[in-house]
Amino acid sequence: SSQQFSALTEVLFRFLMEPKEVERFLTQLSDFATMNKISLGPLKNIVKSILLVPNGALKRNLSSEQVRADFIALGLSEEKASYFAEQWKVNSPTLTRLAVGQTLMINQLIDMEWKFGVTAGSSELEKVGSIFLQLKLVIKKGSQTENVYVELTLPQFYSFLHEMERVKTSLESFS
Amino acid sequence: QLVSALHSLTRHVVYRGWTRAEDILALFPENFHQNLKNLLTKIILENVSAWRSEAQASQISLPRLVDVDWRVDIQTASDSISRMAVPTCLLQLKIQEDVALCGDNPVVSALTVELSKETLDTMLEGLGRIRDQLSAVANK
Repeated sequence: SSQQFSALTEVLFRFLMEPKEVERFLTQLSDFATMNKISLGPLKNIVKSILLVPNGALKRNLSSEQVRADFIALGLSEEKASYFAEQWKVNSPTLTRLAVGQTLMINQLIDMEWKFGVTAGSSELEKVGSIFLQLKLVIKKGSQTENVYVELTLPQFYSFLHEMERVKTSLESFS
Repeated sequence: QLVSALHSLTRHVVYRGWTRAEDILALFPENFHQNLKNLLTKIILENVSAWRSEAQASQISLPRLVDVDWRVDIQTASDSISRMAVPTCLLQLKIQEDVALCGDNPVVSALTVELSKETLDTMLEGLGRIRDQLSAVANK
């Protein structure tokens, strides 16, 4: 029935939006199965095949008309296909953003910590009084994180800041 | 022995950070040859600031930033989405390991990091905060 279909669609899209919430998805599926007196096994298979359509659509940047046409070609009723396509249109910006976010990143910078202070003295110089800046960069290498420690002098810091502002301008001109 | 004595003398002057002739002259024993004393003091004074900078450059520290390069790419496709236009930044930091450990053979490693626009914005926020904190300290 159309009510059951819209409830199922809702569950499906919620999962697509938050692909990490696998347990919640499975719980909602089994609730749906019990409420509608369907067995969970065949439901899971149906859901698996249904999910192929939005995932493929995302990969190929399909419009909602194309999604609707795909579903009708697969044997879904027009009404249900249109409903799904509507939901798709509403949710595709978020889904696209999620897909872009999954694009592989090399040595992604996750975090940056810093401290700065004054060098008071050293074994060669009794009184120094120079400022240093220490940065700790947390970088994701594959599945591990690596900490990189760097020290900068003040002039280096200012030129680094300047360069980063140039990068920001460049990135903004391309968005 | 002479070289070693000169070395100790210059190190001592650099350590104490003396820049006036009187302080250095005071180091010599009373019956030291007058002209030699003046000549040595003159030479030391000429070199003291260069020696101080060198000592500061070679003091122990965390790995130091030597160079920064960057480039901006536009990502057009990936395995999860066939068409997109996302600008990202690749940042390369050249880092030199502790100078004191390397001596004459500096070990420079290059670290390449990828930054999304959001990461860059957050980083700039952090750098801005550092700059504000630095000027607050400088103005005290």
